[in-house]
Amino acid sequence: MSPKSKARSALTAASLLLASPALAQAPQADAPTPEAAAQAQPVMTKPPALLQQVEATYPPEALAAGLTASVRLIITIAADGSVSDVLPTEPAGHGFDEAAIAAVRQFRFSPAEVDGVPAPVQVEYVYHFTLAAPPQEAPGPEQVQAAPKATLTGQLISRGSRSRVAGATVRCGDDPEAPEALSDADGRFTLEVPPGECAVRVVASGFQLYQTKEQLQANETTEVNFFLAPTAGALETVVRSERPKKEVVRRTITRQEAQKTPGTFGDPIRVIQTLPGVARAPFISGQLLVRGSNPGQTATMMDGVSIPLLFHLLGGPSVVNAEFIDQLDFFPGGYGSQYGRAVGGIVEVGTRKGAADTFHGSVKVDLLDAGFFLEAPVTDGISVAAAARRSYIDTLLPLVLPKDEGSTLSVVPRYWDYQVRVDFGAKRDARSEAEAQAGGARSTGYVMAFGSDDQLRLVSSGPETERDLSVDTHTLFHRIKGDWTYRKGALTSVFTPYVGYDGTSFKFGAAKQNGVGYTVGAREVLGLELSSELTVRTGLDLVYEHQSFDVEFPAPENFEYVAFPGAESVGELLVEKIGLGSFDGALFVEADLKVGKFTFTPGVRGNFQRAGDARNVALDPRLWVRFEATERTQLKGSLGLYSQPAETFRFITLPYGNPELAYQRAFQSSLGVEHRLTDVFNVDVTGFFNRRYNNIAAPGELRSLPKGGVIQVPYSNQGIGRALGLEVMVKKQRASASDRWSGWLSYTFSQSLDGRTGPAPEQNGSDFGGGFGGNGDETYGLSPFDQTHILTLVSNYVLGNGWELGGRFRYTTGRPTTPINHTFDLYQVDRNRFNGTYGPYASSRTSGFHQLDMRLDKSWQFQSWTLGVYLDVQNLYNAENVEFTFNDYRQRREYEVPGIPILPVVGVKGSF
Amino acid sequence: MKALLHTGGLLLLALASFACVEPEDKPSNVHDLRVLGVSTEKPELIASTCDQTPEAFDELAEELTYRALLVDPAGEGRPIQYTLWACADQDDRTCKNEKDRALLAEGTTVAGELTLSIRPGAARVADDKLLLERVLEEDAYKGLGGIRMPLVLRAVAGNEEVYAQKLMVFWCPVVEGMTANVQPVLPGLRVDDVAWPEGEPLELSGPGPFVVTADDVSALEESYVVPGLRLQAVHLKEAWEIAWYSTLGEFSLSETGGADFGGQEGRHRVEWEPAEGAAAQEVTFWAVVRDGRGGSSWLVRRARWNP
Repeated sequence: MSPKSKARSALTAASLLLASPALAQAPQADAPTPEAAAQAQPVMTKPPALLQQVEATYPPEALAAGLTASVRLIITIAADGSVSDVLPTEPAGHGFDEAAIAAVRQFRFSPAEVDGVPAPVQVEYVYHFTLAAPPQEAPGPEQVQAAPKATLTGQLISRGSRSRVAGATVRCGDDPEAPEALSDADGRFTLEVPPGECAVRVVASGFQLYQTKEQLQANETTEVNFFLAPTAGALETVVRSERPKKEVVRRTITRQEAQKTPGTFGDPIRVIQTLPGVARAPFISGQLLVRGSNPGQTATMMDGVSIPLLFHLLGGPSVVNAEFIDQLDFFPGGYGSQYGRAVGGIVEVGTRKGAADTFHGSVKVDLLDAGFFLEAPVTDGISVAAAARRSYIDTLLPLVLPKDEGSTLSVVPRYWDYQVRVDFGAKRDARSEAEAQAGGARSTGYVMAFGSDDQLRLVSSGPETERDLSVDTHTLFHRIKGDWTYRKGALTSVFTPYVGYDGTSFKFGAAKQNGVGYTVGAREVLGLELSSELTVRTGLDLVYEHQSFDVEFPAPENFEYVAFPGAESVGELLVEKIGLGSFDGALFVEADLKVGKFTFTPGVRGNFQRAGDARNVALDPRLWVRFEATERTQLKGSLGLYSQPAETFRFITLPYGNPELAYQRAFQSSLGVEHRLTDVFNVDVTGFFNRRYNNIAAPGELRSLPKGGVIQVPYSNQGIGRALGLEVMVKKQRASASDRWSGWLSYTFSQSLDGRTGPAPEQNGSDFGGGFGGNGDETYGLSPFDQTHILTLVSNYVLGNGWELGGRFRYTTGRPTTPINHTFDLYQVDRNRFNGTYGPYASSRTSGFHQLDMRLDKSWQFQSWTLGVYLDVQNLYNAENVEFTFNDYRQRREYEVPGIPILPVVGVKGSF
Repeated sequence: MKALLHTGGLLLLALASFACVEPEDKPSNVHDLRVLGVSTEKPELIASTCDQTPEAFDELAEELTYRALLVDPAGEGRPIQYTLWACADQDDRTCKNEKDRALLAEGTTVAGELTLSIRPGAARVADDKLLLERVLEEDAYKGLGGIRMPLVLRAVAGNEEVYAQKLMVFWCPVVEGMTANVQPVLPGLRVDDVAWPEGEPLELSGPGPFVVTADDVSALEESYVVPGLRLQAVHLKEAWEIAWYSTLGEFSLSETGGADFGGQEGRHRVEWEPAEGAAAQEVTFWAVVRDGRGGSSWLVRRARWNP
């Protein structure tokens, strides 16, 4: 071994990391218009290039001992191309880490760009310290000219997914003096070496070392394709960095987490239930019960457009196909002024941009449905991604339904959904490059469509059935949205127009309802970085809906007449045609103001609604503050008002609607601290206090009509609620592709109250408040969904060889109940029902809920595709949890309704 | 609609789970002190005018026959103390507000049909006020559903105590076409398609189930008119409900008939199954019919059952 040492380095797989969408998200606070960029789902449009490399000093002791090493580093490259942070992922020791870090800190890169704008990014970098044999005497120039050459050219492809591997080094043998080639964005490389046998070595971050031998002939070109094996699962990317947070709490779920969190059936919305601030919904329902709010008070949006119907078929899987999402952002409260129409939280589903390298896709089959996802570049700068899913329960059910002679039983549940996205404007020709460099304007955008269709038909008839029954429901929606992002200098504009169509039809015996809805809306967010201390955002958020209903139904009791207790008479058939338009518009403005270590974000959102004859105005001032106590610790706080309009159909004329409904309102506040324990461990502790008022309560009050008569208003603004609590989130991310463990602990301590102002309604069928029994006099108390302690542990471990194991454990306090206290029978003769006598309202609880869910994934990587199989087991140890309680017919004894027992689900997925 | 679907989803899951939890005490199995039905003859009173004149109140003060079906199979003929009140507030299930209640009858009886003559329309409460007026004052709907006076029967035997509330309806012709309700009466019952006579017990043997049906009542179900909440006339048709009871075993459905909000009416067909392991015995059956507007009556049948 020669005493001569050589330090070599390789920038590997920067593109792999940078392709991670969560990494290439909105730029730092000092970059232009981060909020606007967040709306546009930004992507890497230009990777960083190493301009200035500095050789590391070989550690003397290591040199003396003849040691070599490869130091794997995570480099944070600032928006100006300088290195702002360097962290080793796997310490090599012997002074190699320090030497590599010292050298890399002096590197200089060309700035990376996100959607055409310089942005901070992270790359993984491997610095190789090798020892070389002493150089032979240098040949004369004549010899060099005479030496024959062979060319090895080809493409590097990710095994199992056919993704192109960029930024990998290809060389022959270990000799550090040997020439090497770096693969380009398409994974292509060309290497010129002496002819003969080449011991090919391909080094790429996130992939196993690839070695093979090629016989290269003099003056000939050998073309090859090398399939590199990912170090972890196929198609896996590692999220190394989160977007900078300005909101007090924003929790991000990656696609990987959305698909593989145990017990969620791969449903992204159900994964949100594992986060702090979200109460457990009954059974396996996906309802989002955020910080004491009721179902329907948390808005869910897909790329900024509200999803009108979140779940398929009576609370089944959500319409958000996990294959199509990029990530989910969940704001449990305290969000910015550009968000509105919610008094609970916000869920923002970011969709996936089509692949730029080649054609990819996947097919998935599980218990309920089958679906596919496809993505491909169409031409330079244009890519497309599409997904669709359809259930097949309707074909399986007839096989298990009982068949009795003379009877008919038919149940046909069916759903499907789709998402399509076409991106354009990412073309990087010389002219646009030059314009961008000169600070010229740049436009990118995409068009997306998504929709869903649900049908449920149930027919039961025959002389032995209790009655002939026929139910037929059909709901569907379609949305098409555009997104145009324009950047010029410090100005960013994101314009998002959208249109939608909704259809509902419902038949139940003689009752029929056909509804059609049209939606047109637009959102414009304008951001301007006035200085490094001040960024201003403003915009408009407008939506118009027109809904019409053709209804035909027997006169409903208590809407048309005062029903006698227990009456089940048949009313005369009423035929109505109802149409109603509603407009809801908001103007918002907010600013990020940096003062020392403080960042203040004051904002205000002015809302105006016109629905039928109703005119509503609400002003929502908001403020959040961040204080960077240390590099790793931030204090944060927020307070503000929030508004949510009632849905359009609630404004139809009396007695079926209430044209006088006002905005539902909420005051939200929070105070917290987040601390980065290590590069991969983060802790977030946030306390909150919310107060809801003017919320929709059903039914409303009795009202005397001017011309005589009395009606009960179906909805009123009498709903109120209050919640306070503390949320803790500890998250462990994967440090690199070779880091096997990730997961999080989420804990919420809370108390939530819910109910209404004024006395109990005359006909109490309330959706909200007091929904757990009692004597009916109390109208405000613990929410039926109140859970004092909510603990969730989620963990995922890569076992290797394609195996992956995940677990989720949950514990929540039982839900409140009002205990029965039977002393005598209270029989309502006309209704043929018994009333109960009860103890104090909500003075008892069901026993605590605890459940372990496990998921095992196995994938097999073939040359150009990957086969994956998973087993997701809900309630592994078959805990008998109590979901509800009900009383026997005489209200003497309480019975507990158990939750789901152990439930294994198997799924298969093929991807390429 | 979307809210309905969401709620429906949860309900569906809850119902599926309820199906797995079976309470021991079944409504159709009579084993202790119960009031199975209450009937007034006439089922409702209708004044000739809606003006609150003394003559109109006199029309509503007519004497009625009050019948209560008291059962106490384990009581072995023990005495049942009863008290019957009329009161003003429907939410006062036990008529505990003494200022707003009037005692109509009290005494001691045994299981069976308790028959009383009462004049609730003439009852007066504190300050010598007509109870009818107090009922109207308490009514948030201002009489648009009729003046519904709660009649509360308290029955006590041993340590068992039952309060049974029946609403007596007093009408006036608010809209055209209103007529007084006619008491619903079941024409007959059949077991396994064989007529079930009133007098003699039917011989039944085996584990069953025995199919019990009511003779067709569709021709007896009245069409009627009630005032709407906007003072319009609303046309309705009765859809009778029958509650089924027996002293042994249980019925597959404790109640049949009625109509759902889509107007789909139920069939009066149930299956009776004797209790497993029971010895041969005489079994009493009751079918209590309700017309959904205050009218009610019942049939009693007996059977000698052998395993």
